[in-house]
Amino acid sequence: MPDGWLIDITDSAPGTGVVLWLKERSTGRVDTRRLPWRPPFLVDGPSSLLDRVERTFAPDPAVERIERRTERPSLFDRRLRRVLAVTARTNFARRRLATAIDALGGYRALTLYDVDLSAPQLYHLAHDLYPFAPVVWDGAGVRATEPPETIDYAPVPIRWVPLETRFDGARRGGVIPPGAAVESVRVGPVEVKEESEAATLLALVRALATQDPDLLLTDGGDALDLPRLFERAQALGLDEEAFFLGREPAAFRPIRRSSSYESYGRIYHRDTAFSIPGRFHVDGRDSFLYGDASFEGMIDAARLSRLSLQSIARQSPGTCFTAMEMAHALTGGVHVPWKKNRPEEFKSLDRLLQADRGGVIFLPPVGVHGGVEEFDFSSLYPHIMVRHNLSTETLDCRCCPGSPYRAPGLGYRSCTKRPGLIPRTLSPLIARRLAYKTRLKDPSLSEAERDRYARRTKMLKWILVTSFGYQGYRNARFGRIECHEAINAYARDLIARLIPRSEAEGYRVLHGIVDSLWLAPSDPTHPPDPERYAVRMSEEFDLPLGYEGRYRWIVFLPSVTHGLGVPNRYYGLYETGEFKLRGVRSRRGDTPVLLEKAERAVLDRFAEERGPDGVQRAVPEAVERLDAIAERVRSGAWPIDELVMTHRVGQDPSRYVVFTESVAALRQLEALGVHREAGQSVRYVLRDRSSRSFRDRVTVAERLPEDDRYDPVAYVELLARGADTLLSPLGFPYPTLCERWKVGAPVVRPRLRSPEQRAQRTL
Amino acid sequence: MGRTAPTYRQALEERLKRWDSFGQLLTDPEDRAAFERIRRGTRRYIAQATYAGSPDLLESILLSALVDLARELPKRSGTGPPSAGTSPSPRGG
Repeated sequence: MPDGWLIDITDSAPGTGVVLWLKERSTGRVDTRRLPWRPPFLVDGPSSLLDRVERTFAPDPAVERIERRTERPSLFDRRLRRVLAVTARTNFARRRLATAIDALGGYRALTLYDVDLSAPQLYHLAHDLYPFAPVVWDGAGVRATEPPETIDYAPVPIRWVPLETRFDGARRGGVIPPGAAVESVRVGPVEVKEESEAATLLALVRALATQDPDLLLTDGGDALDLPRLFERAQALGLDEEAFFLGREPAAFRPIRRSSSYESYGRIYHRDTAFSIPGRFHVDGRDSFLYGDASFEGMIDAARLSRLSLQSIARQSPGTCFTAMEMAHALTGGVHVPWKKNRPEEFKSLDRLLQADRGGVIFLPPVGVHGGVEEFDFSSLYPHIMVRHNLSTETLDCRCCPGSPYRAPGLGYRSCTKRPGLIPRTLSPLIARRLAYKTRLKDPSLSEAERDRYARRTKMLKWILVTSFGYQGYRNARFGRIECHEAINAYARDLIARLIPRSEAEGYRVLHGIVDSLWLAPSDPTHPPDPERYAVRMSEEFDLPLGYEGRYRWIVFLPSVTHGLGVPNRYYGLYETGEFKLRGVRSRRGDTPVLLEKAERAVLDRFAEERGPDGVQRAVPEAVERLDAIAERVRSGAWPIDELVMTHRVGQDPSRYVVFTESVAALRQLEALGVHREAGQSVRYVLRDRSSRSFRDRVTVAERLPEDDRYDPVAYVELLARGADTLLSPLGFPYPTLCERWKVGAPVVRPRLRSPEQRAQRTL
Repeated sequence: MGRTAPTYRQALEERLKRWDSFGQLLTDPEDRAAFERIRRGTRRYIAQATYAGSPDLLESILLSALVDLARELPKRSGTGPPSAGTSPSPRGG
């Protein structure tokens, strides 16, 4: 019986089944199995309406069959209900059909379940399979040899190669004109280049067949390599059978078009996505999770969520968590509602103000401090959800009116009889993360093992972090705002009770953010034992408080507007010699290398100091280091590529009304034939900050080697701004630095006004 | 995500904006400094006021300002109330 791994399940081309991609252990070859699979979705509602749905849709050509079933579809159902199970003729028609049925119920009267789970996802769950499962297979079927929750599983031998395309007459990173011909493609160790462009593309298909990778890793492939390769293939008359990047041919059209979207008040951009069946494509630039969790973490998440590695690479950790919830629900016999039908409960205004609050966030005392200890609760919110059984269906349940679990100050009860879906999903994740963390402490681990466990821990961390936020997200399938409020209430109460306990243990609270505390010994000559304190508090509060370490010194930074401390802006040096930096320039992705280097120069000097007094004494020397940098910047000799600034385009470029540097950059790109959309970034160097011409104000990074002039005064001023972040609480604020380096703040030009407007304003 | 009501921090900033016009008509520099001091004091206790969760915004703002002032009082007026020995003795007539 052959054995190996199930690396992926994809939809079959006609949409009437799935394709299982099986990698054989001994040969490393990948085989496919095509199986019929058309999972139904459920429709629940008043009996008369269900009859109508049946009558109306049974003759519909998009419908294969409609069956009556008795199920307990919702998490809240205690009794069996009569529902309809609707099977679409093809899996691709499921959503369209569901929309039509939903419309028949006026989008309100019917509740639909399992609509937007993909056929592969449902196949996994119905057959006890999961991505990257070790499997054996024969004529009877494919069987996983261990459960997905296994912690110590053998690493899957994924074969991956980097892929990079070069275009005729264009530098990668420069402007690549639309329609530019493919010059060569690097696939792993091979540079594919033939006499003609068409021959190069066909040679690429052969190179992929020879190397047979499971995964293509690109840097910007979703935006550049894949769309351009398919575009060129089409332009050269190659068809889908001749040119393909997966293990079998697929349509050239993208499965997802590019779009801009907003999340937490920021605009993001999602590139086009193409399907390459049998292979994965990970765009290192576009995949948030790849950067942090790498393949190891993503494989771990794929196993638990039943999502394809391809989805994990393109989606957020929140999607993984939702998929995990869905998997738990379905394996427990509960179905997944398509649309959330649970509005927030009515509350009085006072009650709303009481309930709608976050965790405790202190303002730290500005300045440099010594002997500070940092403590963090590990996965505090997930632990709270598990400890207090907080879940959408367990909150204020009917069965436990006398429940002792009550959210402090709010009174929401949680069930004592049935563990909720969210705690059931979270518990194994918390245990898994703890197991990996414990393993990481083993000094005998090899480098590869250490990296593997660290990546998996990181992935789980992100999933656990989002698990809380999703409780408050209006579209989260199993989310409920009252759960979100209860979690916060428990967290606030915890910190409030921890403060007097910490004081009794010999500490005073310097700073605290939700689940982290910075404590200083009340009597510096007799500091308490931090490890013992952490253990004692963990036991007392039944939540894991970890000791992060002691700082030789830590600087809490002030707000620019009112001078009081800012909760998450500080930098400090642990006793171990390691820095912790939050909210300083080099932590931001948009900072030019110049500012990172300047910050490094200051921090390197401070790193020599063992205490706050030393830091204070070292300030003049640190400023002298900055003087040298400022001097070189002013002379115009600073390397131009270290001055590139990045700006995320916050709205459609045509909607900008004020002429800013990024607008100048956008216009310059447009002139070069490159269009940027909201959520994408522009990279540029300040060329002449006072110029009103988009050509002179900045130079976009794409044009850099041709034009290496920069505005020295603007960069010295920027340096003062950057240095101010670190040095303002140490006596060198921005105005002092500007004066020292003889630069002024940038002139804010008055808006252009008509003489009438000006006259009006002086009245 | 999911936020319906403004946070205390936002409500405070909104209220402080309303106080701006009060400050505009303060002409004495000492008055202005005192006004700034009060504004600053209200911001110092955001965490505590949020935790208290009073439905009365002004109560939280005033309590914050008062605590901030009370904390400065001993520093400004010496160590405590004036002792009997220093009070002027009544003059005989």
